[in-house]
Amino acid sequence: MIHVRDLHLSIGDRPLLKGIDLQVERGSVWGIIGPPGGGKSLLVKTLCGLFTPDRGSIRIDGVEVCGLDEPALVPIRRKIGMLFQNNALFDFMKVWENVAFPLARLKPDLDEAALRERALMRLREVGLAGSEDKWPSELSGGMKKRVGIARATMTESPLVIYDEPTAGLDPVTTSKIYDLLEKIRQSTGATVLAISSDIQGLSTFVKNMMLVHDGQILFKGPLPALQECEDPLVHQFIRGLSEGPL
Amino acid sequence: MTRLANLLASIGAFVLGYVQASITLISIAGRSFRGIFHFRGRAKGEVLNQMYQMGNRSLVFVTVTLGALGMVLVFQVCLQINKVTGDQSQVGPEFIKGMIHAFVPILTAMMLATRIGAGIAAEIGSMVVTEQVDALRMTGVDPIDYLIVPRLIASTVMTLALGLFAMVVVILAGAFMAHTSFGVNYNVFFIFDKVLPGDMIIGVSKLIAHGAAIPIVAGYCGLTATGGSQGVGTATTRAVINASLSVIILDFIISAIGLATVQKVG
Amino acid sequence: MIGNLLARIGGAFLALAHEVGGVVHLLFKVLIALVPPRFDRDELWRNMYKMGVRSVPIIILTAFFTGGIMVIQSSVFVKKFGATSLVGWGAGYAVFREVGPILLGLMFSGRVGSNNTAELGTMVITEQIDGLRALAIDPVNYLIVPRVLAMIVMLFLLTILGDIVAIVGAALFGQLLADVSFAAFWTSFSQNLHIVDLTHGLVKAAVFGFIVSLTSCWFGISVRGGAVGVGRAVNNSVVAAALGIVLSDYIITYTLS
Repeated sequence: MIHVRDLHLSIGDRPLLKGIDLQVERGSVWGIIGPPGGGKSLLVKTLCGLFTPDRGSIRIDGVEVCGLDEPALVPIRRKIGMLFQNNALFDFMKVWENVAFPLARLKPDLDEAALRERALMRLREVGLAGSEDKWPSELSGGMKKRVGIARATMTESPLVIYDEPTAGLDPVTTSKIYDLLEKIRQSTGATVLAISSDIQGLSTFVKNMMLVHDGQILFKGPLPALQECEDPLVHQFIRGLSEGPL
Repeated sequence: MTRLANLLASIGAFVLGYVQASITLISIAGRSFRGIFHFRGRAKGEVLNQMYQMGNRSLVFVTVTLGALGMVLVFQVCLQINKVTGDQSQVGPEFIKGMIHAFVPILTAMMLATRIGAGIAAEIGSMVVTEQVDALRMTGVDPIDYLIVPRLIASTVMTLALGLFAMVVVILAGAFMAHTSFGVNYNVFFIFDKVLPGDMIIGVSKLIAHGAAIPIVAGYCGLTATGGSQGVGTATTRAVINASLSVIILDFIISAIGLATVQKVG
Repeated sequence: MIGNLLARIGGAFLALAHEVGGVVHLLFKVLIALVPPRFDRDELWRNMYKMGVRSVPIIILTAFFTGGIMVIQSSVFVKKFGATSLVGWGAGYAVFREVGPILLGLMFSGRVGSNNTAELGTMVITEQIDGLRALAIDPVNYLIVPRVLAMIVMLFLLTILGDIVAIVGAALFGQLLADVSFAAFWTSFSQNLHIVDLTHGLVKAAVFGFIVSLTSCWFGISVRGGAVGVGRAVNNSVVAAALGIVLSDYIITYTLS
């Protein structure tokens, strides 16, 4: 589904991605972990063409993403649902309009009643029945995440990216969110990339892990192999030790 | 010596920054103007909403500031004429002419650059730093079409409307001042035959140009905002100053063109 | 409907009274801190450098084009009478007395005032002001007074610079666009203008600096409601400063004549 080769990206004169190679199979579920500022969010945003890399190649379903202009990126982005780190709910739209927005863009011929009905269905699935006519600013942190998840999965796109689906949430809400993500994944069979700094929670949901640090992937592979990784930085990070290279 | 070097360096960096920024700015401007032509659907409501907000937020502000400025300008002119000839009969007609082709367009636009420009930059800037603009792009929406074009149309229309309104305010305020402080009769003041079609053309084209420049420059500042909530503050500041500066430069260019064409004498 | 409207008007006036009262209150605190002078000298120099020197490019650009606009307007006016000898006078008179101080004041407000509001506002929401208080440092003496003094001095000096640049710009564009030679421009300029025309504008500049400093400091230290509040404060601060500049311009013009 995703093939990344030798991806380099710098902003200003600071190199932020330094040679990323990555292969993600269709239907697989990946967790992305790593210290803050290491380039996790930047990597997934670059995959969607939100940043233009200096060099390297990204192929999604065989289509080269790098070098495309905005209109040409539209069909690729339609294959991707994304939950942003800070939810990025449109604060000038009500909750149901937020959720319906990607669908309205994908199918312009749907009328408002149909859109609203589909959005309400989605909201019920994420446990937010009754909140459809609120404004995003009236919601709690966990509810905003759920709206973000509902919006990201609205079009049932084959690739879903969750950037910090549980950041800032309490443990109970966190495990409910992961249950929800798993339920959605089973019903759509989508390929999933999930960024989180909560390794334990993430491990209940994903099958594979990659660890991104300083613009490079230090580890990628199935979940059990992560524990046996010899790299001292990976070793320190996944065990949360204070002694080590970090 | 280092002070001087610092000063030169800051001027250099300023100029260089402007050159780089202008390239991005011109591309945004081009895409915005192109956006006007394939503009339809949902966004009509957005244009009306923006027009209402811009007009609502600016009407009192423009009335007060331009009214006061009109009185001041008439005062200064009469003062000087009293010293030289004492013939106040030309004050009204020349004042009205000058207001229409010169002072009202630039002063109204400077006021609106503050009011509308800061608002646009703050709004779009906070959408950028909260990733809402990225979320728009992910659903295949062009932020320029969606965010800038409605504001461009609304601001152009409203700047023109507010500018024409300001002309009325300024002329009334000026006449009032000339009458109360210098005893100029209203029927001597309100003589409009000095206002040639050329003056009106220049005044209106300045208002349209300024009204289009403000949202483009402010939108550019908002779209290039970076780094959290501080970034929004910086974007707002940059929008005020850059929109004001672009108003001054555009005003100069149109004035020069006007002098060479429609206002040419002889 | 009418009750609603009245309530809104009343609410607007209350809000206005709150802001005006806040500014006046701040003004008194600043005056008290000035006699005898109790403020941070280093902070004063730092602010003068930051507000003054770094505004030079924008002031030069603004003034240069303002001079150009003024020479074009006055030549439109005098050409009809064939009185090109009046162009230097007309442009100089307008720049010195009105257009120079006002446009430079507005640019200064946009550049320095809004920065100042954002800076102080950020200090408020990140609790840095409370931190100063906890260290028994008076925020007015330490933060506000140096900024007020720096803005008054710097807008005054920048207006002198701007006046010079504007006149150079006017002479240059007069030659290029309106066929007024440098010599004719200079004769008209120097024979008809008096020092009082210059000082009239400079008094305004100092007052505008004072107004920009007070409004921008007030809106900065009274920020509420997090990061969104800072954005709103910056917006309100530049608008209030523009209003203050125009209204005080009216009062000064009237009293000085």
